[in-house]
Amino acid sequence: MTQTAERQMELTLPMLPDVEIAAAKAAGNLGRQLGMDSDAIDEMVHAIVEACINAREHSCCVDQRIYLRFRGTAGKDGRPRIEVWITDHGRGFDPAHARAHRAIAPGRPQKRGWGLQIMEAHMDEVEIDSTPSGTTIRMVKYGGGKS
Amino acid sequence: MMTDDLKVTVERRGANGAILYTRGYINNVGGEEIANQAYELIDGGVDTLLLNLRETKIVNSIGISILIEIMEKMMEKGGRLGFCCLTPVISKTFQIMGLAQYAPIFTDEESALKEFGL
Repeated sequence: MTQTAERQMELTLPMLPDVEIAAAKAAGNLGRQLGMDSDAIDEMVHAIVEACINAREHSCCVDQRIYLRFRGTAGKDGRPRIEVWITDHGRGFDPAHARAHRAIAPGRPQKRGWGLQIMEAHMDEVEIDSTPSGTTIRMVKYGGGKS
Repeated sequence: MMTDDLKVTVERRGANGAILYTRGYINNVGGEEIANQAYELIDGGVDTLLLNLRETKIVNSIGISILIEIMEKMMEKGGRLGFCCLTPVISKTFQIMGLAQYAPIFTDEESALKEFGL
């Protein structure tokens, strides 16, 4: 693709076990098309997996769907960039409350509640817009040249 | 539904050691499969266990939480558990979740076996 080309993709996925893999594969394919390096793709994939699992496990949405939108660009600097929005129409959550429960218990690692932290560690930008009628997580990943 | 089930292969090393090789996605189901195999080994007297994840490319936090439970059980028994051959992103995820503070992570199987005396 040319340096200024843009690719967009939308997916609507049912909240079924392992459906996050479908989202991950779509994101991985887009990343490869844009020339994103494999480590950046892997990080993006793991962040998307966690976002989808959080939606499936915690949103309690009636329509039982996850809505994903991807926008991939290869900028003038040659650096691929993928922006992804992951939306559910569930009950929402308080990101500050979720972040407050990150501490590792003394002597033992905390087992659950890591999804948001994993997303933030693996992506370059993460924004959460959550209300009682749904949540959208917007994430951005930049990647270097093809590896 | 979207991916192959996780496959676990066991290789015994000496009287009290074993390596578990995983292939596929470590989610809740995959984690439980690893745990079943690990608990059987631990209950059978294995006190040194190495998880080789060379053919696992994706993990999720639920699957890792089950690996933490295996690690806790091994700690309670006074044994040793380690990991090797992780992809960079899986290694980073282990670091984020604190697992790396309690179980050693080796870049390759050879160094893990040497360290564990297997």
